[in-house]
Amino acid sequence: MAFYKIEDLTFTYPNCASPALSNVSFEAREGDFLLLIGRSGCGKSTLLRHMKTSLAPHGNMTGRVLINGRPLGETSERDQAMKIGFVFQHPDDQIVTDKVWHELAFGLESIGADTKTMRIKIAEMASYFGLDEVFYKNVSELSGGQKQLLNLASVMALSPEVLIMDEPTSQLDPIAASEFLSTVKKLNTELGITVIISEHRLEEAMPLADRVLVLDEGRLVCEGKPRQVAGKLCRSNSPLAGAMPTAARIFCGIGAEGLPALTVNEGRRLLNSLGLEKKLLPSAERKARDEAPAIKAEGLMFRYEKDGDDVLKGLDVSLHSGEIYGLVGGNGAGKSTLLKLLSGAAVPYRGRLTVGAEKLKGRFSAFEKRIGCLYQDPRTLFSKDTVWEDLESAAFNRDPATAKARIDEAVRLMDIESCLSKHPFDLSGGEQQRAAAAKVLLTEPNILLLDEPTKGMDASIKEVFGEKLRKLAEKGIAILLVSHDIEFCAEYADTVGFMFDGRIDSENAAREFFCENVFYTTAANRIARDVYKNALLEKEVTALALGGER
Amino acid sequence: MRKDAFGQTHPAVELFFFLAVMLITAFVLHPAVTGISLAAACAYNVYLRGRKALLFTLCFVLPFILLIAVLNPLFNHAGVTVLFYLHNGNAVTLEAVLYGIVSACMFAALISWCSCLNAVMSSDKYVCLFGRAIPVLSLLFSMVLRFVPRFTARIGLVSAAQKSTCPEMGKSPVKALKHGVSVLSFTTSWALESSVVMADSMKSRGYGLPGRTSYSIYRFDSRDAVLAALLAAFCVVSIAAMVSKRICFRFYPSIKYSSFGALSAAGYAAFALLCLLPLLLDILENVRWHSIRSKI
Repeated sequence: MAFYKIEDLTFTYPNCASPALSNVSFEAREGDFLLLIGRSGCGKSTLLRHMKTSLAPHGNMTGRVLINGRPLGETSERDQAMKIGFVFQHPDDQIVTDKVWHELAFGLESIGADTKTMRIKIAEMASYFGLDEVFYKNVSELSGGQKQLLNLASVMALSPEVLIMDEPTSQLDPIAASEFLSTVKKLNTELGITVIISEHRLEEAMPLADRVLVLDEGRLVCEGKPRQVAGKLCRSNSPLAGAMPTAARIFCGIGAEGLPALTVNEGRRLLNSLGLEKKLLPSAERKARDEAPAIKAEGLMFRYEKDGDDVLKGLDVSLHSGEIYGLVGGNGAGKSTLLKLLSGAAVPYRGRLTVGAEKLKGRFSAFEKRIGCLYQDPRTLFSKDTVWEDLESAAFNRDPATAKARIDEAVRLMDIESCLSKHPFDLSGGEQQRAAAAKVLLTEPNILLLDEPTKGMDASIKEVFGEKLRKLAEKGIAILLVSHDIEFCAEYADTVGFMFDGRIDSENAAREFFCENVFYTTAANRIARDVYKNALLEKEVTALALGGER
Repeated sequence: MRKDAFGQTHPAVELFFFLAVMLITAFVLHPAVTGISLAAACAYNVYLRGRKALLFTLCFVLPFILLIAVLNPLFNHAGVTVLFYLHNGNAVTLEAVLYGIVSACMFAALISWCSCLNAVMSSDKYVCLFGRAIPVLSLLFSMVLRFVPRFTARIGLVSAAQKSTCPEMGKSPVKALKHGVSVLSFTTSWALESSVVMADSMKSRGYGLPGRTSYSIYRFDSRDAVLAALLAAFCVVSIAAMVSKRICFRFYPSIKYSSFGALSAAGYAAFALLCLLPLLLDILENVRWHSIRSKI
């Protein structure tokens, strides 16, 4: 059991004028589940890192961090290594060794545990976290969710009293993320471990927390129980309001009094109890599609190895200019493989690809066919020391004046003026994604393929990115949006397809698609489906409800 | 590759076996000893790797032996039993031919044992063996094993991703090379970037504290002890026979070998058992398994 007390913490990075944290004071009691929220770059990571001496950043710090009533510095490094567990954001980067069993043992080896103790601890961790089946495997064979569970397990092997986590689910798909969060909650309730976690997946995380801290530009602006905080933020015009759980937003949006609902279940009961008149939104007329699709795939079959299983099993899809096509589906359904085929990085063994009027055979150059592809990790697209040089290298084949004009246009469209002189790695996740998109745009694609572009973006950045995509579509680009992010697809995609078992099984206009599903639909739709069957977004539900009362 | 019983023993036993067999093979040049070693190595290799090893033995090991057997007497003319003279007047001797064959067999045996060693000793086992002595070394080994494939995978990712933005690659060799260099340098800085996170994660879990230990997934149980004792006994008997010149073979100037006696017989038997131990263990296990299954 451990408790923290942060007293008046102010911290300034070297060579920075304004402090990254100013006068932050709070307390984490024994067994608390504390959720730290705030926009990207508001100082969450800096604050969390101050809670462990070995991770504290260099800079000018005033104020005190107390653990169990004593200043943190007085606790030895060995005790801190054992008692304070820290899980970082990127699942892959924090793994040290090549084998799952070795990773589980890493912390125990460091503190010099004997073999017998290690055996017991490791056995316990592997079975509790469901890692026994992958125990002897290479870590590279694990999925992202398994990797993050492994990171959690290898920290838990040291039997910490407090777990500090910095956006641990931001790189995971929604199913793996909620599994991870519920494991953390289990550790908290069953073992009484104090949890301090920063998150932007608030739909799932808010209901789990005991208390929520809101950080804005290094200041603690709000603190309280989840419902109090949700109510306060939703009723204010804070940029974080859009990140609150849908139920709370609907609750406050329709002007209900008191503490807001947090979960889908609560939101549903609330809406059903209001006796609202049932209404349907007019189904948006499907955008008139051009006769010829920009790219068309028919009966694609693909496997990675000669004796392997088919990954794509006769897939048909067509993308039209000016349309955003959202592709959703579980892990391993073949979504990323499809992108490889469409961008010419892999060749189907059967089936036909047509771009415009031209039939494609074998490997082709994505550049020549004007297909832009933005892979899951935007970092793979950069190759120069500054964003500006990178963009210049992509506009290589034009005369300087046109190149400059094109770059300026792409920069404006993606809103990355402030990043131009920085190294691509120094940008935040959302900025990296936009800079990579700008680079792809410079090749003037007709077709844009995006793989999980919203991974790691917080709500406000997502909105900006979504608007940019709309603008591109309006310019006549055909966009394929492969995503786990249902809310994002519901808001920005025109057509949505569901991929399962190597095929696109159902495809429909976004609204029709989602309102027919039970699980695979937005939280707002799940809340409102009894009353407003085809409302997908919180703002639609709120508008309908308000209109109904009028 | 097949799961074999010997591969499931403690890595120390396995390493002991391979060291003993390979050292004896390398230092004792004796037609019988080398022959036993080669036969056992090929048999075990085929047992472990199946058809691939058989092909390797037939297509590489056999021609290699024949080649050396022909080449050695062409360059080495020592020995007293002249078979015939070459047109330049040099003698081809029986001793040189025999020496060529035996030494080629020795090399072939060593190569086959190495192939077995590779199949049996996974990286985990080295980590375990080094870990006992120098914990940091085993960690380093494990980190390298993770880093290298990850780095190459990232190079693949980066160059695939850049296909749509950098059409220049492949157009002219100079440009392609330039592009390759920039991909490599960028992947390196990416690796450095993520190693910062890794360093944090290591520090956070107590790396650098004094008194590091090393975990091993292998246990040294009584079965391993019995095997180790057997191995040691076979080694002692066969080495004793070799040192006391009861197993001895001289090639030059004339062929001379030790007479066959009780101790030399024991020596041959011990060495054969030593070499065949993994296979015997597997056969025993298979027989036992089948008899258990037939009772069910």
